[in-house]
Amino acid sequence: MARDKQKRSCGQVLAEWRAFVWDPRSRQVLGRTATSWGLILLFYLLFYGFLAGLFALTMWVLLQTVDPHVPKYQDRLATPGMMIRPRTETLDVAFNVSAAETWQHYVRLLHDFLEPYNDSVQAARNAACRPGRYHEQPDEAVPNVPKRACRFARSALGPCAGLGPPGTAFGYAAGRPCVLLKVNRVINYFPGENKSINVVCAAKREEDAARLGEMAMFPPNGTIDLMYFPYYGKRVHVNYTQPVVAVQFLNATANEDHHVECRLNAAGLRADDERDKFAGRVAFRLRINRD
Amino acid sequence: MPKPYFLLQKKSDVYSVEINGTEDLEKTEKVDEEGMYKDLKGNKKKKKTEDLKKELDLVSDAKLTFHRGLSSARAAEILARDGPNSLTPPKATPEIVKFLKQMVGGFSILLWIGAAFSWISFGIQFAQGAESPFDNLYLGVVLALVVILTGIFAYYQEAKSTNIMASFSKMIPQQALVIRDAEKKELPADQLVVGDIVEIKGGDRIPADIRLIFTQGCKVDNSSLTGESEPQSRSCDFTHENPLETRNIAFYSTTCVEGTATGIVINTGDRTIIGRIASLASGVGNGKTPIAIEIEHFVYLVAGVAISIGVLFFIISVSMRYKILDSIIFLIGIIVANVPEGLLATVTVSLSLTAKRMAKKNCLVKNLEAVETLGSTSIICSDKTGTLTQNRMTVAHLWFDDQIYSADTSEDQTTQPFDQSSQTWTALSKIVTLCNRAEFRPGQENLPVMKRVVVGDASETALLKFAEVVLGDVMDIRARNKKVAEIPFNSTNKFQLSIHETDDRNDKRFLLVMKGAPERILERCSTIMINGKEEPLDSEKAEAFQTAYMELGGMGERVLGFCHLYLPENEFPDTYPFDTDSMNFPTSNLCFVGLLSMIDPPRSTVPDAVSKCRSAGIKVIMVTGDHPITAKAIAKSVGIISATSETVEDMAKRLNVPVERVDRRQATAAVVNGMELKDMSLQQLDEVLCNHSEIVFARTSPQQKLIIVEGCQRQGAVVAVTGDGVNDSPALKKADIGIAMGIAGSDAAKNAADMVLLDDNFASIVTGVEEGRLIFDNLKKTIAYTLTKNIAELCPFLIYIIASIPMPIGTITILFIDLGTDIIPSVALAYEKAESDIMNRRPRNKSKDRLVNEQLAVYSYLHIGIMQSVGAFVTYFTVYAEQGFLPTTLLGVRVNWESNAINDFEDSYGQEWTKYQRTYLQWTGYTAFFVSITIQQVADLIIRKTRRNSIFQQGLFRNKVIWVGIFSQIGIALILTYVLLRYWFVAVPFAILIWVYDEVRKLFIRRYPGSKLVGQEHVLLKQSLSLVILLLVESFFSILIQPLLLKRPVCAIITWARPMKG
Repeated sequence: MARDKQKRSCGQVLAEWRAFVWDPRSRQVLGRTATSWGLILLFYLLFYGFLAGLFALTMWVLLQTVDPHVPKYQDRLATPGMMIRPRTETLDVAFNVSAAETWQHYVRLLHDFLEPYNDSVQAARNAACRPGRYHEQPDEAVPNVPKRACRFARSALGPCAGLGPPGTAFGYAAGRPCVLLKVNRVINYFPGENKSINVVCAAKREEDAARLGEMAMFPPNGTIDLMYFPYYGKRVHVNYTQPVVAVQFLNATANEDHHVECRLNAAGLRADDERDKFAGRVAFRLRINRD
Repeated sequence: MPKPYFLLQKKSDVYSVEINGTEDLEKTEKVDEEGMYKDLKGNKKKKKTEDLKKELDLVSDAKLTFHRGLSSARAAEILARDGPNSLTPPKATPEIVKFLKQMVGGFSILLWIGAAFSWISFGIQFAQGAESPFDNLYLGVVLALVVILTGIFAYYQEAKSTNIMASFSKMIPQQALVIRDAEKKELPADQLVVGDIVEIKGGDRIPADIRLIFTQGCKVDNSSLTGESEPQSRSCDFTHENPLETRNIAFYSTTCVEGTATGIVINTGDRTIIGRIASLASGVGNGKTPIAIEIEHFVYLVAGVAISIGVLFFIISVSMRYKILDSIIFLIGIIVANVPEGLLATVTVSLSLTAKRMAKKNCLVKNLEAVETLGSTSIICSDKTGTLTQNRMTVAHLWFDDQIYSADTSEDQTTQPFDQSSQTWTALSKIVTLCNRAEFRPGQENLPVMKRVVVGDASETALLKFAEVVLGDVMDIRARNKKVAEIPFNSTNKFQLSIHETDDRNDKRFLLVMKGAPERILERCSTIMINGKEEPLDSEKAEAFQTAYMELGGMGERVLGFCHLYLPENEFPDTYPFDTDSMNFPTSNLCFVGLLSMIDPPRSTVPDAVSKCRSAGIKVIMVTGDHPITAKAIAKSVGIISATSETVEDMAKRLNVPVERVDRRQATAAVVNGMELKDMSLQQLDEVLCNHSEIVFARTSPQQKLIIVEGCQRQGAVVAVTGDGVNDSPALKKADIGIAMGIAGSDAAKNAADMVLLDDNFASIVTGVEEGRLIFDNLKKTIAYTLTKNIAELCPFLIYIIASIPMPIGTITILFIDLGTDIIPSVALAYEKAESDIMNRRPRNKSKDRLVNEQLAVYSYLHIGIMQSVGAFVTYFTVYAEQGFLPTTLLGVRVNWESNAINDFEDSYGQEWTKYQRTYLQWTGYTAFFVSITIQQVADLIIRKTRRNSIFQQGLFRNKVIWVGIFSQIGIALILTYVLLRYWFVAVPFAILIWVYDEVRKLFIRRYPGSKLVGQEHVLLKQSLSLVILLLVESFFSILIQPLLLKRPVCAIITWARPMKG
């Protein structure tokens, strides 16, 4: 056998391959005739067509069985996450006070984010709710009736509302930047066990607190009103306005990294999950450069 | 001194053979070299003879002191110089090399590449300070661990089977009686040195090459060296220039049959003649086993798929603007998904399970891969003596009263059925009993007669046992008929004679009994006993004797004549002094009583085994050193030459024409003599092997075995060869599977062989063949089972890259399937019973019937594999949908999904997820994907039980191990998923679909045999298309014509449901 292999010259091998690719004698392409290839292709077309159809069918059945308003399981979302705005590709807020182009995009992001919070929009769409308690809207007779959302006044964010003169720019121009904090939406989540909840921010390490300097929270005390809960899902709770809290860094030391951590302070909420660094809290880096 | 020179000379010869040994062309040369010792003209040999003679001169000095022998000190000196007197075992590969080979063979390279990539990407990510670079580090470590662990496992398996052999060779340390320091000492034979004086007696194995200086009736059996089975006498005389021919040298590893001798050791260890032959054997190239070739082919196939898909998707992902680093990570995933990590270990386990099963059936397999080789065997070259036959002379026929009687020759005879009423038989039995010097060893009264050990030569043993079976206690009969004189058999007289008193108290005559070569016995007779009466021996009766003698001789049997004479009381009174030297008693005009013929009968299981081989398409060739007539007779009686076929000689005889004029092609059988074989060219041998289906090689030397094996291999056959002698070892090595005899085999043969036949029985080979074929079928099933899920593991990566969905299954999870849940089920398939009678089909064609062929790969990959993927993806989407991500939201989300900065990722319901929450969901997805592959693999396991038959025909419960496999699979999956039952049932309908689909395929295969449906889907397609079209036409017509012909459509459909013609 070994000898046979050696005997075949390179040219012969090439000729064999050529014959395999197109054999004019038996009119075969790659070892099959055109009809054979056609039938094979047809078979796979039918077979895979059938499988695709079957897949589509099961997907359709799946969608029929899935409730479009509330997901079947929510066990992964027991503790809602927290997030900051402005959001960039990394969780950083770093800029040079004197170079406007380094913070302009933050300002734009914040303006964009706060667009739906404009008092005019809120007044037009949303209802004034009674503060201090959950705004429950149980389905009476008809299931999944549209729910009303509670107003969130942008002005409540004070200097962080971005409503002042254009130059103020959420404090970025002055080196006193605002960062917005929000709690992730989770359907039918009631935070704080009927007690008021608020967001607190601090330097990640206590010894850095002095260098981070003072912070101002808006609304005062970083409170989030219970009336914004529960969330009923985007299908019935169309105009839902997510409550936000703003933190303004009043005199953070310039030209150094500050690691800031903000937590949601609510009864019954565990914000100390080792693996999930964003469950009920958020950490970000702040750096204010001055020339 | 000349010795070192001699040594060098020889060594270089051996090496030259080793270097060239692999090329076919040189093989003839090498064979010549083996035969060289016999070739008187060869120049090389002459030189050697010279050297040997010089050595003898040297040694002759020692003669002066031969009664003192060497001093211990001197012996120790020489021992230190020459090394121990034992054959160097064939050069073993160092253990570490063997181990490393396991580490880099097969898929290991691919996995190493995967591991290397993981570490590289870890390095890059670490340098870049990414969030979780350690994932890749761990993945690399896991991959490396997988390779190392499977390597250790394979190494352990191999070492285990090698150890069985190692224990073999150390079983009996040989002892030699040596004179040293003027004392006789019993020493281990490997302590012998050149110049030692050794004493040998009958039954001993010669411990080294020795020059005899004193002999007494010494005979040696050189069969292990030259293949001649007749013992040769040895004396102190130098009779021939050629050391192999001269009478005064006895060779290492041959046996002394009788007599005693003293000699000087002239060569030890590897320098002995046999040592040189043994080292020649190690030069014979040992090709790859068929299964090794198959597995290599399979590895190439899978590796080819893995690499091409990997590279293709690497290019795709790079051109889709993925980062190079990400693309590399995809590549790792694709490689891991494609490589069936556990498969090679599974194959090893399956093979060793079969090896164990075969060991129970007396086939001890040295090399695991040989298990399957036996299954693909197409020619068996079998020894005769001991393998096909019982290896003991047995009385087969009797002739008395002008009639031939057959005796029972089976292994466990207890009675003899032939007519024993005749007076002649009484007389004959008396002669058989009395004229016999053989005796049972004492203390065996409880053993069956056939199993008792006898002191005496083969014929006498046969007669003794025969008499014991027919008459009862022979020793008692002999005691009652006291022997008064005896002439033992010798080659000049060719008879044996003894004179006895009779046990009849009233009869005072002496009885003279004689046996010997029939014609010599007849010469001495004047009368013949017919029905108990003495009648004159006329020409007519002499003619009858001749006919019977020829007939028995023609059956290849050894015939003995028996006669007796009652000495007249008056001439030979009680006190008559019989003198055997002067022969003072009559030795002629005796009364002829009968003939007995003996043969070494075939083992009773052999004819059945040979016919099994025949129906299994395996050609059985007998290779023996025996006489052609005997060989042919045995071949006929076991069916190697079937009853209807004729040799050229038979045809010539029947047609009454000279042999030359017979058309050789018409003869199906051939008996080839060793002498003829010697003069044949390779083409002639090929012609013989090609043209005759039933071949017996007689009077062959073991060296010629190698030529025969090579001839068979030239025909493209997978050849199994049996052998026992040292010089069988080249043939055993050359053969695709060498089978050594466990009882009669020499260590060298066992070393060279791939398999050891513990009971020396040919029938055991056939059971081995059956097991070998079964394991090939079952390995196919195992591989099909294992390959299937690779697609279900691969598709997630491909779709992940193309559709940018969250990763459906992780690399580690894939390893859980490959090395966790799937291992036991795939081993369980090795226990599957044969689907049809596997011994009724031809041996597989090495080049066509591959272990993994196009059909198997296509069916596993493109049919079942794709179905599994669909099932698994349905589960995947179900998990995400039920957690909040509907299928449409998942497309194209990969970048955001995997971003660490995005911790408010929105799902289909408006909820927001942190990175960790998403990752946790992704893991749940992995688990669900894993579970659904496992569930569908259960269906895959069930469908793989059979290749043609419906599961309902084969039975779901016949192979209990399959159920162990299924339960283990589910159990392991339950443990790995923390008994998370939520998504277990999503894939069940798909599992059922797989089963139904495969049943339909099998139905088509059974309906339309011959067309292999998979790979030729168009056949299947044609059938189903015609069904669809027919139904369409039917329904169309039924709408149109139903009002007219109400019953038609129904009839047509029923008609179609019956099997259509191809």
